[in-house]
Amino acid sequence: MNAIAYLLRKTVKNEILDTLRHPLKFLLYAFVAVSMLYGAIRGYTAGDELGNSEIFSDPRLLSGAYMAVLFFISIPIMLKGLSSGTSFFSLSDVNNMFVAPVSPKRVLIYGIGRQLASMLVLVVTFAAYGGMIIRMFDVSVSQATILIVGIALMLVMVQLITLMIFCLASMHPVRARVMKYGIYAMAFFALGTVIVYSFATGISVEHIFTAISLPMLEYIPFVGWMHGLVFGMMEGDTVRMLVFGILTMITAGGSLLTLKLTKLDFYEDVLSQAESYQEFREAVREGKFSDKVMMGNKQIKLRKTGIRKGKGGAAIFYKHLLEGSRRSRFLFFNINTFVLLFVAFVIGFGIKQAKPDIEPTIIYLAAMVILAYVQFFFSASGDWVKELTKPYIYLIPDGAVKKLVMAAATGIIKPFTDGAITFAALFVLVGGHPIDAIVAALTYGSFGTMYIAANILAQRLVGIDSTGGIFITFYMSMIVLTLLPGVVIGLVVLSSFAGSFGYIAATLLGAPLMIWNMIVSAGIFIACRNLLNNTE
Amino acid sequence: MLNVSHLTKKYHRFVANQNLSFIVNDGETAVLAGPNGAGKSTAIKCIAGLLRFEGEIEICGYNNKSIEAKKILGYVPEIPAPFELLTVWEHMEFIARAYGLEDWEDKAKELMRRLELTDKKDKLGKELSKGMQQKISICCALLIQPRLVLFDEPLVGLDPHAIKELKAMLGELKAGGTTIIISTHMLESVEDIWDKVFIMMNGKIEAERTRKFVEESGENLEELFFNITEKKQTGADNT
Repeated sequence: MNAIAYLLRKTVKNEILDTLRHPLKFLLYAFVAVSMLYGAIRGYTAGDELGNSEIFSDPRLLSGAYMAVLFFISIPIMLKGLSSGTSFFSLSDVNNMFVAPVSPKRVLIYGIGRQLASMLVLVVTFAAYGGMIIRMFDVSVSQATILIVGIALMLVMVQLITLMIFCLASMHPVRARVMKYGIYAMAFFALGTVIVYSFATGISVEHIFTAISLPMLEYIPFVGWMHGLVFGMMEGDTVRMLVFGILTMITAGGSLLTLKLTKLDFYEDVLSQAESYQEFREAVREGKFSDKVMMGNKQIKLRKTGIRKGKGGAAIFYKHLLEGSRRSRFLFFNINTFVLLFVAFVIGFGIKQAKPDIEPTIIYLAAMVILAYVQFFFSASGDWVKELTKPYIYLIPDGAVKKLVMAAATGIIKPFTDGAITFAALFVLVGGHPIDAIVAALTYGSFGTMYIAANILAQRLVGIDSTGGIFITFYMSMIVLTLLPGVVIGLVVLSSFAGSFGYIAATLLGAPLMIWNMIVSAGIFIACRNLLNNTE
Repeated sequence: MLNVSHLTKKYHRFVANQNLSFIVNDGETAVLAGPNGAGKSTAIKCIAGLLRFEGEIEICGYNNKSIEAKKILGYVPEIPAPFELLTVWEHMEFIARAYGLEDWEDKAKELMRRLELTDKKDKLGKELSKGMQQKISICCALLIQPRLVLFDEPLVGLDPHAIKELKAMLGELKAGGTTIIISTHMLESVEDIWDKVFIMMNGKIEAERTRKFVEESGENLEELFFNITEKKQTGADNT
């Protein structure tokens, strides 16, 4: 029997059986599937009840967003292909299949095929958004279907392209470097074109929309071609459809031909990558994030050495500062800060352009809510979460509350510094009342403390050793439960005083919420101090 | 001294440790022996205060979860878990600060020299091999000069020099009155150093022997071990 077919068959069968044997997992999958199906059906069948704004129904926005999605799903996979097919294989594949008498080409096709299967989930997710696309952009069901099929096709294409890249770059460092620069060039060309055009014509929503839908972007290999093919079909432009269709087919054919003609020996390349990927997968599965899995093989230059301060539980805090300075030279100012600044800029600029006479306080309110949501994703891999995975915090002879607070301290400080930087920038951009900016920053910071407190509460209730899915469900429930009263109080204050102090709406909502967050968080820290009594 | 009294550890319905009671005196080395899944590591983790359990565990008269007990307890886990972004030397500094140690530098240097970590002192935890990580764990546990030290499969992954050095260190700790608990399924690896052995199977202590008893009776420890573990595994009766 063909070993690969057997492996695939058994894997699928056992995955299904395993899901059925775990009712909670099954229910979770069923819930997600039903929600997505409901969302999709509702979207495809509902009318215009949610209302369209002129900005969001602009077809140029759809074109630009679609291009961005194509880039988003293609570039990372292609780059991975260069760095020796990291995610194609698990460590069990390496240990069992690589040593088996199976052709390396078949093994590679198996790896890529499996990767493709996992990417289908992404297509299903996009399909669920089909309804939203129809409502927002006023496209027909068949056009929305073309968009989704286009994404599926791009996923297949990107795997084939990755295969070609991998065949050509494997064991040829110079070629690999050239291809890497080529892939970066594609992304930078697209981004550069949009930025240069926007600045050259004067920044406005109108010009940005024109920039993101420029026809020249469709000349970017692979991604642009797919965009051209899909939008050619949608718009009934036969020439565009044929040109980009043929280019796409040539790419697919070239990839397959390359695979046939190349003598592959990629096992050594894959080995170490598969090991670190295995660690990463396990860490994500268990909800445990270590620096090793998050940073991979990134080289760290030692500048300052030594913890230098702290005694007992406080040593944990100073250790975190040292570790933080090794992750980012500027300690609390890192990539997350840039992301927040970018999101704040988009919110501030977008709303200002759409409604120039809007009160700045509304922008602060919107930014506070959206950035707090973004922060949730950053909080998952905080220092204190990593600390719980090591035995030392449980063994250190010091008070439980002190250890807990010290372990969480960097995670508490970071959102406040991010908030200060981001809302200061927003203040420069949109103006408004300084109190509003300060309270919005503090409220944003208090969300960080609350996320940690909710995490502590969830750990206390379901146990540190609980599996990822169950924990995440509890964690999110705890966030909702702990935040909700604060939000309600904030809304009551806002509605009570909006008449007289409407120009500082962000303060009216934010101040009570911030006070609530800090008081409840402190209560949770004290109530859950026994968390560090054991690792369970 | 370690006093374990009626230790029971359950994971839902699965009983990992069942009513374990034993005493290990100052300067004694006790071995928890048994096949994989016998409950050795669970018992060690309970003693280290990492797991919830039923029963009593006292370290030199202190409850094992008290701060006083933690101050005198060293623990070398089965799977080493260094901090990825701390250098080897910074691990020493961190432990010294966390445990409030004074004048620890010379002791740290000595430990690192003996386990051949001196030239790795500026290496980050994430850059080290499994064996090196295990050496850091040993240095961290011994830096605090513990009165009780727990080793969970300590020799796995160590090179021959480190094994030789660790055995010498164990001898010195013992001479200094430290209580040592070692969990292992490889009896021959601890044959020179043990004073007491507890043979575990299915979460229970099936046999307890002292070195004195074995030497006087001429009983073969390895034979006893296999008699207990193999009989249990095949479902035969054991008394």
